[in-house]
Amino acid sequence: MTRNIKLLDTFRSNLTPIENHLVDGYLYGRVGRREFLRHGSLLGLSLPFLGRVALAAGFGATPSMARAGDQPGATIRVALQAPTGAINPLTNGDEGGIVMAQQVAEFLCIDGTDRVVRPCLATSWKPNQDGTVWTFTLRKGVKFHSGAEMRADDVVATFDRVVDPQSGSNARMVFKGVLQKGATRKVDDYTIEFHLDSPSGNFPYLVSSANYNAVILPASYAGGFEKTWDGTGPFRIEKYTQKVGANFVRNDDYWGSKSLPARTEFIFFTDIQPQILALQAGQVDIINSLPAVSGVALLSDPNVDILSVNSAAHQLVHLRCDVEPFKDPRVRRAVALCLDREKLVKGLMKGRAMVGNDSPFAPVYPSTDPTVPQRKRDVAQAKELMKAAGLENGVQLTLTTMQYLEIPEYAQLIQGWVKEIGVDLKLKIMDWTSYVGDAALGKSPWLDATMGITPWYHRGVPNYYFTAALMSDSPYNAAHFKSEQFDTLTKSYFATLDLEAQRAVAGKIERLLLDETPNLYGYFYNNLTAVKKGVVGVESNAMHQLFLQNAGKA
Amino acid sequence: MLHYIARRFALSLVTLFVLSLLIFFLGQVLPGNVGRFLLGPDADQQAVEMLNHQLGLDRPLLVQYGTWIWRFVQGDMGESYVYRTPVVAFVSQALLHSLKLAAVAFLIVVPLGIMGGIIAALKVNRPLDRIISLGGLTATVLPEFVTAILLILIFGIWLRWLPISAAWPDGAGALGQLHYLILPAMPLVLVLFGYIARMARAGMIEALDSDYTRTAVLKGLPWRLVIWRHVLRNGLLPTIAVVATQTGYLVGGLLIVETLFRYQGIGSLIFNAARGRDFPMLEASVMVIGVTYAVATLLADLLYSFLNPRIRMVSSR
Repeated sequence: MTRNIKLLDTFRSNLTPIENHLVDGYLYGRVGRREFLRHGSLLGLSLPFLGRVALAAGFGATPSMARAGDQPGATIRVALQAPTGAINPLTNGDEGGIVMAQQVAEFLCIDGTDRVVRPCLATSWKPNQDGTVWTFTLRKGVKFHSGAEMRADDVVATFDRVVDPQSGSNARMVFKGVLQKGATRKVDDYTIEFHLDSPSGNFPYLVSSANYNAVILPASYAGGFEKTWDGTGPFRIEKYTQKVGANFVRNDDYWGSKSLPARTEFIFFTDIQPQILALQAGQVDIINSLPAVSGVALLSDPNVDILSVNSAAHQLVHLRCDVEPFKDPRVRRAVALCLDREKLVKGLMKGRAMVGNDSPFAPVYPSTDPTVPQRKRDVAQAKELMKAAGLENGVQLTLTTMQYLEIPEYAQLIQGWVKEIGVDLKLKIMDWTSYVGDAALGKSPWLDATMGITPWYHRGVPNYYFTAALMSDSPYNAAHFKSEQFDTLTKSYFATLDLEAQRAVAGKIERLLLDETPNLYGYFYNNLTAVKKGVVGVESNAMHQLFLQNAGKA
Repeated sequence: MLHYIARRFALSLVTLFVLSLLIFFLGQVLPGNVGRFLLGPDADQQAVEMLNHQLGLDRPLLVQYGTWIWRFVQGDMGESYVYRTPVVAFVSQALLHSLKLAAVAFLIVVPLGIMGGIIAALKVNRPLDRIISLGGLTATVLPEFVTAILLILIFGIWLRWLPISAAWPDGAGALGQLHYLILPAMPLVLVLFGYIARMARAGMIEALDSDYTRTAVLKGLPWRLVIWRHVLRNGLLPTIAVVATQTGYLVGGLLIVETLFRYQGIGSLIFNAARGRDFPMLEASVMVIGVTYAVATLLADLLYSFLNPRIRMVSSR
């Protein structure tokens, strides 16, 4: 296809320098198509506009999100991990609670299946020049299920509530150093501004579905969500029974296209095995979240489609940098060199994961620097490092972790691998509550252990991993890693709006982390959703959120 | 007899008091922080402390115990930390579910087990006895999750005769509920059949070999009457005790069956409450199981003493 320079110039005449730099990167091959769409949408450029730019550049049109095209009116039945408590969109941090709230309530923007951030309750957004103020335009004519129209006051109240220290919201950590109470300001009924503490190049992700507690609720919300279920979403609650399940029906007043299913039924389970049996027996159509290890029976089942979404979710192995033997970075690197990452992906995770390179920059992030060399298993080099650190005669260590998904198996693999360099690794596997303890230093095996493995969910951008677990003042820095250089680079990364500039900083951070190796990131696992053959239009994202408005039965 | 009942009743109360102490104080030694668990690892420490204060967890343990037990004896089971609603609704619902499942399993396994034991005893050391004894033993030693999954695969997935979830739809009548409970009851039947049959068999063999049976035969009583009047009445006494002791297990110990069949019984309620540090739910559920168990054993003891006058005489001395 040929390039239409005149049309491109017309498009570019209204763009900011950062937006034009992104277009340049795309035209000259420095930025791939996916990254172009993803970062363009992050900067507030609409997907149709990005599609027109791609067409004018001679790269063809962008894909559109098509509806199932099947008979409307189906009932879709979903097996879901039971919510661990009362549904409160403000504080829910478990899969069941997040999915329940997300069925009826929405976000300013959606971090979708393809991890491109799309407008939802906000129609557009723009940063100021340095990324300290982001202006969002709200969609008009959106109604809560209670009948009230959604306006700026609701959005302002939502974010003030989320960042309030009294709220107990998990989202507070996401907004740490970025947004404070009172910093979300109403411009008019349909425009709001976020005045940030520091520049943020990825801010739309922080107010998207990737930050699951940032769901937009009425300004009057004061708890008791299970009594009202008042959101703006495509489904309304019909019935909710704690520990049993929930039924939703189509919201005929929805602002967007009406949902195809007339009804959705969520059935709660406390274990994965009964979910698999229920799908095989035809009693459910979908398993929302299927762990690769325990769900292996379904991965090759011809009657089941597996939706596999690449994510940044990982099992973080921390190595405490402030105690022996990990005070010496050579020992940390030696342990990292023992990991056979290909085996982890192909064997342990049945190919449903991507290799990690000992930094939170997962391959799914456009800002991840692809030129950073991949760390590979090298036992000979690991032995040399141990010898140089004076540990050629070996060392005894304990790896403390929790019973969750494939973590015990992962720990056993590490135990076998590090034995080759003389590390006698004892495993201490606890339940989640015991492992987390008080989540404070001195009162938490998680934060106190010399070596541990902790699960971290997917995030739309890696910022959260830095603020929560890697920076010197991070509250969950289990590796006790402190580096001024790292902190400075990270702040610089947060503040950067331009994709190529982000990659340049990310590359420096990745190299620094490879050198220091406070944590091991062996693999990033996919979110798997099992769908019965014949059920189409189901969308799931890396956060385990489930979108059923386009679902139908063939 | 009244003295005996009063003694047994008082003993049950003491048992329940000790149980309340155990469940309360053992719950406290479980590691982890309730507020932290409920709000998640990312929540602000200030919010965690505030929640712990709201839940009264920062008060002295004895005060917490006193408040809880005082309310409990007055019928107030408290409010769930996790669901923020009264515990009584969950516990009563779960207890009702567990009793229904236990009743279905009991109604199948008790007559079947006793009949199996009687037949085995009457055909002792013959092929039928061997089949019942070995078959029962095999079924008993197979873990419930193995038999449950096998039954689900056969009857739920391959043949599709029975639903694999025990959660019946809203408005289902007694027969409809029974349809959903048959498959979950089967692993319990398999586990208990061998146990009950062996006890019945042993009791029967002992009774058949006793002097009073020989006397009854020699005085010319018809064989059926000997079995019915003398052998069964004496031979089944130990079986009654065994059946009673299984009540606690059938009501509160069915975690695996409840999980596999997605059944909201009290076993899974206890497990999830312990896992989620939902102490009011945990304490109330365990106490309810304790009461159920105490009532069942009391009834069994009364039945036992009714059937066996020697017990009454010993206890009244």
